[in-house]
Amino acid sequence: MTGPLTGVATVFRRELATVVRTPGYGVLAVGLLAAVSGLLAAGGGGATGFVPAVVDLLLPTEALVPLAAVVLGYRALLADGASGELAVIRTYPVRVGEYVAGVLLARTVALVAVVGVPYAVVGVGVWLTAAPDTGIFATHAGVDSPLLFLRFLAFVLLLGAAYVSLAAAVSALAASRRSAIALGALALVAGVLGGDLLLLRSLGGGASPATIPGALALTPNGAFRGLVFEHVIGVAFAPEGGFVATGRAVGSLVGWTLFGPVVAGATLAYGRRVDAALERVRSGFGV
Amino acid sequence: MPDEPVAALSEVTRTYGGVPVLDSVTLAVEPGVTAVIGPNGSGKSTLLRALVGATEPTAGEVRHPGATGPKPIGYLPQRVPFREGFTARETLAFYARLVGDDPDAALERVGLGDAGDRRVEALSGGMRRLLGIAQAVLGDPSLVALDEPASGLDPGMRERAFRAAAERADADTAVAITSHALDLVDEHADRVVVLDRGSVSAAGPLDDLLDQRGVADVSELYRVAAGETGARAGDEGEGPDDEDESDGEGERDGGDAEPDVHVTGVSDR
Repeated sequence: MTGPLTGVATVFRRELATVVRTPGYGVLAVGLLAAVSGLLAAGGGGATGFVPAVVDLLLPTEALVPLAAVVLGYRALLADGASGELAVIRTYPVRVGEYVAGVLLARTVALVAVVGVPYAVVGVGVWLTAAPDTGIFATHAGVDSPLLFLRFLAFVLLLGAAYVSLAAAVSALAASRRSAIALGALALVAGVLGGDLLLLRSLGGGASPATIPGALALTPNGAFRGLVFEHVIGVAFAPEGGFVATGRAVGSLVGWTLFGPVVAGATLAYGRRVDAALERVRSGFGV
Repeated sequence: MPDEPVAALSEVTRTYGGVPVLDSVTLAVEPGVTAVIGPNGSGKSTLLRALVGATEPTAGEVRHPGATGPKPIGYLPQRVPFREGFTARETLAFYARLVGDDPDAALERVGLGDAGDRRVEALSGGMRRLLGIAQAVLGDPSLVALDEPASGLDPGMRERAFRAAAERADADTAVAITSHALDLVDEHADRVVVLDRGSVSAAGPLDDLLDQRGVADVSELYRVAAGETGARAGDEGEGPDDEDESDGEGERDGGDAEPDVHVTGVSDR
């Protein structure tokens, strides 16, 4: 019984087992839980309700979640390539797309555990300890509710999935662990700061402020922030919304999530040919 | 198609940094055991990588007209690359699942039935190599390419590794092996390819080559065809080869030098 699903499932299983057997990822989850809990305790929002908790967590989340995602993904596709095992795997009936899909699915599941669980634990903590009654499932705007925190958690995971995917693309492009770390750090900084800096630059260059909701949605962090304002914080405080174009923001996060595997797949599928083509050029020039 | 080779290289050249490691190699890999011999750095590993598609030639063409089936090619790199943290059985189970094969039977075939629960990193170099051979022949490939399969094994295990590889060869299956173990090549190879500085200096059925060159065995053939540079490599045991042939895909074989060792925990079948 072999086929595309067998290939994806087999690679997925192996990759997930690798993640489970790597103690560092457990430490990462515990560290993230400590960081998020500490930030919430320091900010005090968690004692008041879900929306104040989200306000406290929003900015740190934009750095912490991409960081955790990059740690999870920066070696995902490098490991087999660097060890030489990818050359062996490719003699089996597994297409590059199936291999990339299996690895990325496993890393995304790992993200749900490493990032999702700490945030869920914090959410449960807020539910149990916040002073006003936070047990109300809001049916009207303006009311704090666990559902708002669930939305926040969903957006957090979407942001993380986008960064895992981008980090996996980086891992396919990298030639060594050191270059993977460098490229991962570059992707992290570009993703976390680059979009906002570009937006500020375009506004400074005379772009209309009316373009902000659309432009904000194009980067992973901008899309995430816009969605949180629009569908979590804004629900309670500013019903008119308009922080970001929701469809474009969700599309952007999904797009970034799909962009990573496409880049990774193309790199693994055509990397050797490109390398050989470069060698031909080099030989032709007598370099 | 009995006359069709399992694989064929036509004018294959591969350069690294502009320096040719393989230079216009034309070769047909027929069913049976083909041994690729030559001095260190002569291009053996690159030839095998090009043969299995792990390295793209900078010129020329590699075809596999006789390699068929769901897994047409089996490959064991020079440095056995298996992921740490997994047992030998889990490692083979991953590959076996992809071709619907039985990992336990594969372990038994190479005498690692009792070592299935040991983690890959806890296996000796020789046991890892046997695990690599077991992996390479999973799914009954038509072309099995083994890069230094006997490296790091004691004399008995070297013989067994070669025999296990040679047993795979039949009327439809080609086994290509790079090796410095010229005594084993003498014993098991049907054809020999002698590489010297990236070029084929002799190739053909072993008996024909011995007759043509007027030599008694593969060691003498090696000396005649490859020159004195590699003459001492013959029967002194094996070490990793072709360290200068890395193409950045994990073939650099830095710390893999192993003396011949007795492989404990491996059954004697």
